[in-house]
Amino acid sequence: LSSLSRELFLNNFHYNKKAKFISFAGYSMPINYNEGIIKENLHVRSSSGVFDVSHMGQILILASDKNIHNLEKFLPLDIKNFKNNKSYYSFILNLNGGVIDDIIISKITYNNNYYFFIVYNCSRKEEDEKIFKTHLSDYIILSENCLIAIQGHKSEQILNFLPKINHLSFMNSLTTTYQNKLIIVSRSGYTGEDGFEISIPNSVSHNFINDIMQNPNAKLCGLGSRDSLRLEAGLCLYGNELNEFTTPIEANLNWAIDKKRLNDKNLNGHKILLNQFINGSDKNKIGIKCVSKSILRNNMKLLDEKNIEIGIITSGAFSPTLKSSIGIGYIIKKMSIGQKIYTLIRNKVEELEIVKLPFILHNYKKG
Amino acid sequence: MIKMSEKKYSKDHEWIELNDDIVTIGITNHAQESLGDIVFVDLPEVGKTIESGGEVSVIESVKAASDIYSPVDGEITEININLNDNASLINEDAEIQGWIFKAKIIDKTQLDSLMSLSEYEDFLKQE
Repeated sequence: LSSLSRELFLNNFHYNKKAKFISFAGYSMPINYNEGIIKENLHVRSSSGVFDVSHMGQILILASDKNIHNLEKFLPLDIKNFKNNKSYYSFILNLNGGVIDDIIISKITYNNNYYFFIVYNCSRKEEDEKIFKTHLSDYIILSENCLIAIQGHKSEQILNFLPKINHLSFMNSLTTTYQNKLIIVSRSGYTGEDGFEISIPNSVSHNFINDIMQNPNAKLCGLGSRDSLRLEAGLCLYGNELNEFTTPIEANLNWAIDKKRLNDKNLNGHKILLNQFINGSDKNKIGIKCVSKSILRNNMKLLDEKNIEIGIITSGAFSPTLKSSIGIGYIIKKMSIGQKIYTLIRNKVEELEIVKLPFILHNYKKG
Repeated sequence: MIKMSEKKYSKDHEWIELNDDIVTIGITNHAQESLGDIVFVDLPEVGKTIESGGEVSVIESVKAASDIYSPVDGEITEININLNDNASLINEDAEIQGWIFKAKIIDKTQLDSLMSLSEYEDFLKQE
């Protein structure tokens, strides 16, 4: 491992639990524990998994009028009218409507004030924090907090030592306490299952993860299964499906945009986004399944029946749940579910079927 | 007394076992551990000519695809078809049931440059 890699606060805990580490976005991170990626993935689908995702960025932003106005420059949401304790999936947009980062933003009460709590990608910390510094005031970057995700239908039971959380429904958040420390609990996640993400001060994080691991249903999971779970759930990964040259509309994420904001001059790229929203875009995101057992991988080209290149696979992997090879890609052609496209794997033409996203049904706790 | 054939090891983390003029080739237990869950093996065709240092097969794990190189010149005589339905056999038993292919070899002296078990263990420590 590179000596430049940062370690998670709970690094020694993971080391003692026999984690295998990889370097990811400047952090030494558990990729899996001793049972491997496939078992971890299946465990989250049948019970619950515990992920240390403390590499992610976390920020609290005072919900002042000025901050709301400035957040609305780059987030396509009606932030003024956020309800307290609600969470939203969103994007930091550049002037062309391209995605600088995809984030989760929640409105919460913190020390008797309203704050926005944003969780952002580790790989985009520098870009995001530059934007926060330029446009916002009265914010706290929570660099001394861990972020622990508990994912799967046993998660509520595993966290029963926390007060109030059984009242939360999916994409809702609240602040509560653990050992007299303020923690932020969101019912959300990145696996397609019910679950929680908890922002907790480093000082009590060790006790917290040990309390969780007391429950026999809880199994530690690494970045490997986190990626296969999110792919099965049809969720985007920044750097794969999303980048500064892709708009949320091209990524078929219209549902996450407040349509009123497309007419608002204050929103970065509003003209481009409005035009794509009305007229459609040239690029289309699709789900694909490989007919043979060969494994789809990122950056493989997508071809039509005439062998003409029509797109690229942005995420490809083996799905432990479906026991087949799946992927997400972009094509520059309108095609429909069930149609066949192709790719080359080691110079062999492989047949792919266009399938509906997500690959597995989401299993969220609806309010 | 029958002399057991001795396994040899390559720097590409493959094991090679010679019986008469047939070699059996697979990946080492160390290799399967670092690859993680193996989900697909792209097996070569029987009858295919192989060259020392040439690509013969590909192992796909959940994490990545890895090439299998032939340590010898020869011709494929048999492939482990059990891997078609159960590639994880390599994770379970890399050095016996998880063999990948057998080949008839021309020049046995090509095996001389390979490592013995103790040499391979030293090699792992250096890596």
